[in-house]
Amino acid sequence: MKAEENPTDSLALAYGAITARIWLAVRAIQTAVEKFAGTAVAETAVQIDGQANSYGLTDASATKAYALSNYHGVPAALYEKFATEPLMPAWGLKIYDKTLGPALLLLGIAILLGVASRTSLFALGLLYTSLTWGLILLGEPGNSGVAWLAAHMILIIMALCLVRYDRFRILKKW
Amino acid sequence: MNSLPSPINRRNFLVRSAGAGLVLGAPAILRAAEAPSKTLNLALIGFGKQGKVLFEAMSNIPGIRFQAVCDIWDYNRQAGVAKCYARQKERPNHYVDVDEMLAKEKGLDAAIVATPDFWHAPHTIKCLEAGLHVYCEKMMAHTIEAARDMVRAMERTGKLCQIGHQRRSNPRYRYTLEQLILGNKICGQIVNINAQWNRAINSSQDIGYKQNLAIKPDILQKYGFKDMHQFMNWRTYRDLSGGPISDLGAHQIDIFNWFLGTAPNAVFATGGNSHFKDREHFDNVMALFDYDTPQGQVRAFYQVLTTTSAGGGYYESFMGTEATIDISERSAYTNIYRESSAPSWDNLVSRGFLKKAAAPAPAASDSGDAIKSYESAAPEVYQLPGDLNKPPHQPHLENFFAAVRGEAKLNCDARHAFESEAPIYWVNPSALQKERIILTSEHLSV
Repeated sequence: MKAEENPTDSLALAYGAITARIWLAVRAIQTAVEKFAGTAVAETAVQIDGQANSYGLTDASATKAYALSNYHGVPAALYEKFATEPLMPAWGLKIYDKTLGPALLLLGIAILLGVASRTSLFALGLLYTSLTWGLILLGEPGNSGVAWLAAHMILIIMALCLVRYDRFRILKKW
Repeated sequence: MNSLPSPINRRNFLVRSAGAGLVLGAPAILRAAEAPSKTLNLALIGFGKQGKVLFEAMSNIPGIRFQAVCDIWDYNRQAGVAKCYARQKERPNHYVDVDEMLAKEKGLDAAIVATPDFWHAPHTIKCLEAGLHVYCEKMMAHTIEAARDMVRAMERTGKLCQIGHQRRSNPRYRYTLEQLILGNKICGQIVNINAQWNRAINSSQDIGYKQNLAIKPDILQKYGFKDMHQFMNWRTYRDLSGGPISDLGAHQIDIFNWFLGTAPNAVFATGGNSHFKDREHFDNVMALFDYDTPQGQVRAFYQVLTTTSAGGGYYESFMGTEATIDISERSAYTNIYRESSAPSWDNLVSRGFLKKAAAPAPAASDSGDAIKSYESAAPEVYQLPGDLNKPPHQPHLENFFAAVRGEAKLNCDARHAFESEAPIYWVNPSALQKERIILTSEHLSV
């Protein structure tokens, strides 16, 4: 029996589709947003007997803050490792570093809103493949990062399989 | 502690410490007689590693302009020009030779000297005699006589000469001395000092260079270097520097003398070439200083290692009958320990003088439990109430520029720096002769 013929199954599949879509979208969007995260340090003069000290001693409290200037596509520690990889051209690394955050953000928003879901999910799959390649290149011990990305790939494939049941999409073409 | 004094500012401290008859360490009496133009025009003399450190510390200070850069190495000189241009969008003039710079540059207010130690005295004296105020890196000179000449030149010309013992302007150090040791007397009687700078062997290797960037031999020889290796590694040569006890120890032994307010009366040192066998200077040095202070005798131990970093990095530890203050330029190495028999510090904590550190986790039971009854109770750990939010050299440079403008007094003018540095010049002789040296006014005075 075809799924479309059973309203209950169809609803369940639609929920499955949108759940996978939301998970992948949130994952991509927040990952992108975190690339703009940094630390804002608020410094106040140390108070002694209720008055600001005359020495210039300060008490600093660090809080998380977001700013365009904080952007780092590839984390600094990984960037340095990639820079020494012979298979990673310097210009390629530079472009990748600049575009990774915006790409995750745009794809995440597209997937969340259901804009060309098949194509945007496919593009996200390609992006995660590129990340996987990078981790393989660095020879990550244990390959836990690769396995983690593989779990994302399975979710993307499931979301692609369920697209046809997804009723809540803005642009259903592509 | 029954009564606690109010927080004291620097002016109050000066009055109090003068009354206490301190011999050393009182901030200088010098300030410029007349304030020059609002923007100070500077010459940077020496733009090597330390010159760059000072430049970075100055890059946050308003009201200064880098008018000239002088360095015999084209590589350093061009880096200095580029950094100045990036900061002020104006290219400074650049020179190989200080004499040429002083002859050609008009309108300079001050010079920042960060050349190798054996050039400090000639460069500082030339600049002072040319009418400039001078900030010169420590150690003042490679010989005590050259350091004496710097003091005489400062006093002869009437110009300011600040020596780069930057801890003297560090709020953490000033606060510790003025508020905790002198003001609230938290240490009780200071009876011992223990300090060290332990540096890893890989941070102590010879500095290399690219052959295509090497300075021409005739220029090297003109400026006192036999070759490029000696130029890059002048700190390891006896004719050019004082070695590790001078490079690293001078900062910290200065703090002994500043905090105690007096100079030691004897030094006994030992040193050797345990690892760097081809170096002229000892790679590891240990020194013992004896002090007579108004509160009683104090013994100070100092070690500098260039072979081993373990053991707590670099700090100065002032050990008293009621507390020990471990202080360092790095706040991570700074802790204050209250002896269990000392009066409570709860009032100091509530008023903001100190912060109480989190209690350490109890130690696991071990085979040493059997002798625990011989141990003293573990002291409580406290911390300074705040930190310095600038590069460590910046406050000292700010103090210098404020003094040049007539707005402040120098925190470490050449005379006070000399009085504090003088004992350090006798460490290497003591280690070489394997003899205790009794320090008299002949050893310690200008």
